[in-house]
Formats: sequence, C-alpha cells, structure tokens
Amino acid sequence: MKTYKILIMLLVVVSFTSCGDDFLEPVPTAVSVGDTFPTNETDLESVLTRVYDALQGVNSLEITDNNLNHGQQIEFYVTEMLSDNTRTKSGEGEAGQFDSFTVQPTNGFVFDYYRSMYSVITRANLVLENIDLAVTDGDRIEGEARFMRALAYFNLVRSFGDVPLIDRPILIEDVETQFTRVPSSEIYSFIVADLQSAASKLGSTTTANRASKAAAQGILAKVYLTQRSNYGEAQSLLEEIIASQEYALESDFRDVFYNEANGENIFTVGYVASSSLDSQNFSAEMLNGVGRTSGVNYVTDEAIAALDEFGGDRAQYSKRVDAGQPTQTQVVKYLPNGDASLGIEPTSSDPTSAGNDWIILRYSDVLLMHVEAILAGGAVTQSSNALESFQEVRNRAGLTDIVEEVTSEQLLIERRVELAFENHRIHDLKRFGAAQQVLTDFSNANGHSFSATDLLLPLPQFEVNLSNGLLTQNPGY
Amino acid sequence: MRYFITTRKFVFLLIGMVISVSCENELDLPEAGSRADTMPPEANFSATRDVNNFDIYTFSNLSTSATTYAWDYGDGNTATTIDGQNQYAAEGVYTITLTASDALGVTSTFSSDIEVIEPEEPDAIIPVILEASFEDNSLPDGTGDGRDSWRNSDLGGVIQINTSSSVPDGGQAAKFPSDGSRIAYQEIELTPNTDYRITYSYRLEGSGGEATVAILPGGGYTDLTVAKDAAIAEFTGSAEDYTLTTLDFNSGVSSTVSILIYNANVEARVDNFTAAVQ
Repeated sequence: MKTYKILIMLLVVVSFTSCGDDFLEPVPTAVSVGDTFPTNETDLESVLTRVYDALQGVNSLEITDNNLNHGQQIEFYVTEMLSDNTRTKSGEGEAGQFDSFTVQPTNGFVFDYYRSMYSVITRANLVLENIDLAVTDGDRIEGEARFMRALAYFNLVRSFGDVPLIDRPILIEDVETQFTRVPSSEIYSFIVADLQSAASKLGSTTTANRASKAAAQGILAKVYLTQRSNYGEAQSLLEEIIASQEYALESDFRDVFYNEANGENIFTVGYVASSSLDSQNFSAEMLNGVGRTSGVNYVTDEAIAALDEFGGDRAQYSKRVDAGQPTQTQVVKYLPNGDASLGIEPTSSDPTSAGNDWIILRYSDVLLMHVEAILAGGAVTQSSNALESFQEVRNRAGLTDIVEEVTSEQLLIERRVELAFENHRIHDLKRFGAAQQVLTDFSNANGHSFSATDLLLPLPQFEVNLSNGLLTQNPGY
Repeated sequence: MRYFITTRKFVFLLIGMVISVSCENELDLPEAGSRADTMPPEANFSATRDVNNFDIYTFSNLSTSATTYAWDYGDGNTATTIDGQNQYAAEGVYTITLTASDALGVTSTFSSDIEVIEPEEPDAIIPVILEASFEDNSLPDGTGDGRDSWRNSDLGGVIQINTSSSVPDGGQAAKFPSDGSRIAYQEIELTPNTDYRITYSYRLEGSGGEATVAILPGGGYTDLTVAKDAAIAEFTGSAEDYTLTTLDFNSGVSSTVSILIYNANVEARVDNFTAAVQ
C-alpha cells in the first residue's frame, strides 16, 4: 500500500512537471498559467498553446531534466526506426531495440511517447471542458483542441492498439479510467467524431503550425484509410482539399523542408532555432555524434536501394553519405547545419538547438492518399483520377513517364520514397497489409528478430506497474 | 544404544522419503515450494490476406505466455514457426488451428476459419440512358413520349421534340428553343472511379448560338446555377450541322451522375446519346 502511494505521488509529480509553464510561448504576463483552472478566454488560449507545446516536446539537449516529455521529437524512434527505413548507427542501447525488434516494456522512448500523447490529450481535455469560457473565438479554439486530441489518439491507437480513453479532465484517483484499455474500434469512433467536429469548426490558417480545416480533413481521411472502410468518404475529403486550391506541391522537393512557409505543408509541428524552449534536438541526433547519441535514424540499405531505384530527384534530398563515416548514410530532410553541396543553408547557428519543423501532413501525402482511396483495398486501378494524382507526385520528382495503372505495391513504394523518414513507413506497411511480410524479410536479411507482435509497441511497464493489474500488456512482451 | 536409535530413525526417515517420492509420482501432487502454472498459454492469431495474391495468407501470432507453437493451416500444411504463412492450392473454407505451449507442457489452442476465394473483378456498369434518341415509346416498357426521362421542372421547362427523317438516329430529336428556357436532365447509374465516354450529336439552327452538354456528379439537382457550376465535364459547341461529339469523364466518388443539356441564343437540336466504359 505504501509503495502504491509513493508511485501515485510520482505520477503526480510527472504530470505537474509536464504542465509547467516553461514551454509556453509567448509567455502571458497577466494571466493565470500553470495549473490554475482557466477562468476566461485568454486563459483558454494559453492552455491551447500548451496543447501544441505538449506535441512539440522539449529539446533534451537544452532542458536536461529527467522525465520531461519530448513529444514529436522522439516519434521517429518508435515509428521510422521500427520500420525497414532507418536504424541506429551503433545498434546499442534502448534506441537499438527498435532496430532489432527487441523493444522492451521498460523502453524509455516508448514511455516518453505514450506520456507525451496523453499530455496532449490531458491539456486538450482541459480546453474542451471549459470551452464555454470562449465568447469570441470558441469554434476555432474547440476545433484546434479536438484536432490535437484526435491526432494524439490516432498516434496512440496505431502504435499501441487498445488504449485508455480519457475524454475529460479526471482526478488522479480515477484509476479505472486511467488504466482500462478501451477497444481500438471505440478509440477510432472517438477520433472520427473529434475530427469531423474539427473540420466543421476550423477554417484556413496562415501557418501550418496551427490546425486547419484541411488538416482535420486530411487526418480524417487517413483514419478512414487505416480502418480500411469508408473509402468513398476518404476520397471526398481529399478531393475537398484538392479542390480548395489552398495547397500545391512545391516545385523543388528540397524546398518542402528548407522553405518552411511553403504551400505544400498542411500541418507541421513548429520549432524555433536557438530557442531553449521551442527548439528541437532531433536534427542533431540524426547527425554523427552531434547530439547525445552517436547517430540515430540512419538509413538502412533497403531504404537506400528503394530511393536510388524509385526516388528520382528526391533521393539526393532524402539521404546522403555520412562524411565522417562513409559506410553510413544519413537523413537529409532535417539538417540543422546545412549542406553546401546540396544548396541547403544552416537552419540554426547551433545544431543542438535546431529550428527545422516536423511535417505531419503535406499535400503530396494528400495526393497519394487520394490514389489509395480510389484503390479502395484493391490490387490495381486504371481510373484516370487516381492516375492524375499519382502522376503529379511523380512529375515533381522528375519521373515523367506516363503512368497507366497503379498497383497497391507501386503505391506503397511511392509513399516510401516520397515520404521517407517522415514517420509514415511503419503505419503504411500496416495499413497496406504488407507489414508482416516485408518486415519478416527485412529482419531475416539483417539478423533481427521480428515477429508479428512487434507491430504494436508494449504498454510502458511503468504504467502497467501503477495500474495494479488493470492495464494488460500487449501479446509478445 | 544411542547410536542405534539414531540410525534407526535415519533409516525410517529414508524409507519415508522414498515412499513420499513415489506417491508424488503416482498422484502428481505439487512439491513443497512448487507453484501452479499461473500464467498458462493462451493461443490467438489474426489472418491477413496478401494484397496481390488471394490464395496467400499471413498469420500473426498473438498468443501470450507460450514458447512453442504448432500451426495447422487446415489444408494439410503445418508449421512450427512463431508467425505463419500459407498458400492455398484451392478455393474453400479452411480452419486454421494454432496450438501454443509453454515450457511446462501446458497447451492452448485457437481456431479460426478463413474463406479463400478469388475476388471477382466486377465489370464496370455500362450506364443506361433512357430515351437516348428521344423516340416515342422507347422506354423499356414500350411507352414514353421521347422526353419523359429528361424532365426536371426545377431546372427548366421540358424539351420539345423535333420530328424529321433527317435526324441522326430514328425519327425524332430533342429541340431547345432559342430563348434557352428549356433543359434536358437525366440521372444515370454507373461505377465509381471509372472512366466513361458519352457521345451525342447536336446542331444549331443558325449562327451565334451554343448548345452545352454537361456531366454533373451525383443527382438531385434543383438549381440550374448550382448544377452548371458542378459540372465535372462539359462541351459547348456552335456547329450548324449535326456533329458527333464525345464527352469523356471520370465518375469519381459517386455512383450516379447527371446529364444536363441546355442552349443559348439559337434553337438547338440534340440526338442519339450513347454511353460506354472507356
């Protein structure tokens, strides 16, 4: 009993820390912040900002406290490095568990990701519970909060399967809600309702760092595709984004990543260079020994081969040989210190305090999802509307040969090379029903130990322990 | 004496132990300090059909607390791998059984059926355009005045009929007076995301006019401006002799499209619609 109390106290400390006002930007001077309940619309805006902060996460090179949440900044560990696209350079430590499909329930990145997503949800719940305080901009505030909550649940349900459903602010005593796993189908219904509401309440935005109608429509389409149902609704949503003409492909693939206010990005997590509160460190970690690691998210031989064969112009802006270790290959999409040979300027004077944004949704993903919706689970399509979207993505990459049909297999390859290292690969493999086959082959070729249960992450052991037997572990762990 | 007693006790104990051991063998009583298997295996799996081959299935092993596995794929094939994969030689319903065992020899089995069936590629619907040549009694039941299928009073007046031996097909064509007050409208069923081609012939009775045929997504139109704006494909022409015209379009997400015909300035004639999959 005593131990139980101590653990509960620890959780309290964690959540209070993550709610701290360190990461608020801009820092309101005349409003109640921190853990005071919001009392007016200005407060509500502040809490909403902190919803985004929760996803943004903390730069662990700038703020080195333990147990902080790193949100989007560590997502590539639990997604891209779990796929056949990337790996650690050394294969060591907790990060190496993702390379070899030997992730343990005690893995710190898994716990961090889980915590981060629930931090987004907790803060969004606080906004939504008090939405009546908003008298002038209620629809937008509600829409943004619902979008963020849905995105966090979508990440959780795809990575962990059944997860606890927290749909309102709860007290720490409400152990049952915190630790009862709710079936994925119910989580998906909840996500769909939030995104439908967000799409109806939101309009367009001036910055991709905030949720917009198109962002809600695009993520909702992806939710439908993931459920492998409602292909028609997914297609209609995507066609609304296309017809709005608010977004278009950047003519130069490189500019998608290095000209951040471009018209292709629909929703991104914003970072500010040289800001201790709003910068990121993933750019440094992906270099050779610049961050805390010796180098993570290094490109696998399989991804190199795919980019070289199918990437066209995209290959050079997706991967490069590590100059410090020519047998290794790095990701190019998030370089903090530039690359003169590729015409990429540094984004920050200090690579450990980088400003490169993380793209969650961009227009080429919308076009490729459009093809997927028309394919509707089938093996091949010749429908001209699908071919047109597919051709548009390929043309930008310099691959202008006329496409006469698209197979499911070709679409999966196109998504791999277009969206390489943007944390889509593992989810794409699962959605296309190809994960077990592809990752078994990848694992066998590299001496890893993949089995199908690796397609879901373990529930964090810390949470399982706290739950007193309520929170059950996924099979295989 | 003392020595003797001790020895006797020792022997006795020894016999006792032997008996106790043999009892244990017979009755399988737990040893002191041993524990029941509190985490017996529980077999479970899910099946996924290969995207490209209907007869190949992969099986994801979702068992808990087990160390060894035996797959029975229901067609005589078996495996002892963790995850499974099988190609079926023939269509049919197969029962897949997974037996999961732990190191204590406790087993659990789980069975599930799959139906291996080659998915039929349904042929795209070839749309039926009713009264396509505006002939009398050309509805499927042998009735109709050549324009009954083309009415929509919300969008405009009903078309007139031009009777002549020189129309492109049959003896009648649709006639749109020069004031542009009449339209023709018909909803047709087709397959979503399929490329179609509609052909028709039209002509204007003088210069300076135009005739438009537009394809609208879905149906249920009640406002002419809304309908005109919604067109996914359209052709507007000014030819003064009957001209065969082709209109290509993709049905998109909808399983219904509407054909809308209207004119401006000069009397127009339209005839002989056909529809086909491209």
